[in-house]
Amino acid sequence: MSSATDIHRIRELLIALAWRDVRVRYKQSVLGIAWAVALPLLMMLLFTFVFTRAIDGSSLLGLRIPYPLYAFVGLVPWTFFSSSLTGCVNSLVANRNLVTKVCFPREVFPLSSVAAAFVDFAVAMVVLAGLMVCFSLRGEFAFVPSVSLLLVPLLVMIQIALTVGLGLLLSMANLFYRDVRLVSSAVVQLWMFISAVVVPVPRDGSVLARVIAFNPLVPLMDGYREAILYGRTPAGGGLFYAGAVAAVCLLGGWMWFRRMSYRFAECI
Amino acid sequence: MSEPTICFDHVCKRFRLGESHDSLRDLIAHGLGRLLGRAVNRRSHFWALQDVSFAVVRGDTLGIIGPNGAGKSTALKLLAGILRPNSGRVSVYGRLAALIEVGAGFHGDLTGRENIFLNGAILGMSRAEVRQKLDAIVAFAGIEPFLETPVKRYSSGMYARLGFSIAAHVEADVLLVDEVLSVGDAVFRLRCLERMRELVRGGTTLVFVTHDLDQMQSICSRAIVLDHGATAFDGPAREAVGQYLHAMSRAFAERSADIEPAWGGGAVELLSLRWVGAVEKEFVSAGPRDAIRAELRFRVRRPIAAAVVELNLRSAMNEPLVSLNSGRDGVTFKMSPGERCLTLRLASLPLAGGQYFWNVRLWNADLGVIELDTPFRYPMILHDDGRATGALCVEHSWSSDANDAPLSEPALAESIS
Repeated sequence: MSSATDIHRIRELLIALAWRDVRVRYKQSVLGIAWAVALPLLMMLLFTFVFTRAIDGSSLLGLRIPYPLYAFVGLVPWTFFSSSLTGCVNSLVANRNLVTKVCFPREVFPLSSVAAAFVDFAVAMVVLAGLMVCFSLRGEFAFVPSVSLLLVPLLVMIQIALTVGLGLLLSMANLFYRDVRLVSSAVVQLWMFISAVVVPVPRDGSVLARVIAFNPLVPLMDGYREAILYGRTPAGGGLFYAGAVAAVCLLGGWMWFRRMSYRFAECI
Repeated sequence: MSEPTICFDHVCKRFRLGESHDSLRDLIAHGLGRLLGRAVNRRSHFWALQDVSFAVVRGDTLGIIGPNGAGKSTALKLLAGILRPNSGRVSVYGRLAALIEVGAGFHGDLTGRENIFLNGAILGMSRAEVRQKLDAIVAFAGIEPFLETPVKRYSSGMYARLGFSIAAHVEADVLLVDEVLSVGDAVFRLRCLERMRELVRGGTTLVFVTHDLDQMQSICSRAIVLDHGATAFDGPAREAVGQYLHAMSRAFAERSADIEPAWGGGAVELLSLRWVGAVEKEFVSAGPRDAIRAELRFRVRRPIAAAVVELNLRSAMNEPLVSLNSGRDGVTFKMSPGERCLTLRLASLPLAGGQYFWNVRLWNADLGVIELDTPFRYPMILHDDGRATGALCVEHSWSSDANDAPLSEPALAESIS
């Protein structure tokens, strides 16, 4: 089989599987695809309530922008990351029928999970734009259009590379050891609070701060905020680090996955 | 046209027995045990296929038959590339479509139409290709009114029909079909067979795994019999079926003797029932027109002055076919202690080819006591020449009132079909 038709076939399959995941997620629900908008909004409202009513977030965190926007810019890429991983972990096991009965590159399963989550991400990004317009109209936020917005696709690409790399590893690990799913859901939940999603991470030189500095998501989240909300170019060093981690994850994960995939059908 | 499209070269495949580490705790326990030098229960292996070789040329049809666990599905999964052999080489040239389970990629919440596109992609069709064949797929499956209904509401027959229909419309060079036609009604099964024949005529190479021997024979020219992971036979489909039935009968006889003991007064015991026919084997392997004889060896414990012997024949479906009773023929036997042999001669047994089972009864005619009644565990295999189908193989010939020279037999057969 020539690699061109191979790649074409895989692309078709990837689209079909991602489309199935999206379709199935909102089937037999009243709101349907509107859930893709509603879920991050609900999350934002929840954190907004906590950080504006329960505690005064904006002044406590020293923010110059409305907290809901701060939280939403973090939550949208975070939701993409976490729901991708949740989907990936289960992707091979949930498709056991296909893994044991049909032959095609097994990468399509985790990849399609990421692709399905990307659809929600794209919808939520549109919602974010709407929110920014809203807050601008109310005079609480001044949007600074700048070239740094052009960096957002790069940030998204780094994030996708990182997600796919981790997703390949997790889906494979869960195929051999089902514990992975349980562990990973707990880890992902904790990870959120050290990734500058809804609260900034400590940068005071403490042990925790030094550990958190290894988290490649922090420069990404900071980058989204800098580029979208503040109209500034994100710090290059952090992004370079995140990009390097993502590249290693993707290459390593993918090569390992390739090497193990012939065993999937009999070990699942 | 003679280059092989499928090549199975000395293929071995083994599976691990027992549970592999499904949770991390087992792995840790296992690792610790090994570290402490404790004997960890050794994993044993099971050879699903051992040194199996065959090649199929383009446009040929190969059936794979064998008892459960013989390695048929493993062979198919190796061909499909789902499994990788432990040694040997599997090569398939050309585009492959595997129908190993109908609707393997179906999602219950999606409609019939959505599933057609999804499954089409899984089987390697592009969206454009599926769109082009949608009508044909739907019509073949006969699900037009339910196209927009989620498949979870489908009956199992509809589900299977749709699954087969999609696979049957993939333009493949090699089609693998695994025991999937057992679902669906008779009409649909016939349509499936017809569709497979059509694909084969179009140059598709077909590998067909099934337990339905008639179905296999009707479509495959050649067949392989697998037994315990090894090739027991490789040759013309008709002979393969005979070979397979033979092996099955032997296994059946060995097993059933332990399960179902004979019943009766116990004055006699049947040591063996041997059929001697045209081909000398443990079981008769004869044509329906051959004369055959049964040799019954008894061990007599208590003397019987007048014994009546009866042999009953049943089909594999357990239908009673023939009952031969020596009493009705006015024959009784005097049985004195020791080993005795009785012989029953049949001028012919005009039954269709297949597998049959005998039982043996023996009465003490004076006392009216049944001394022996065995289960139907003595198998017999008949081969017919395929000139008649149905339950009986009737001796026949044709003629016409015209005085012209009769058509030769093959020409006649062709003009009929």
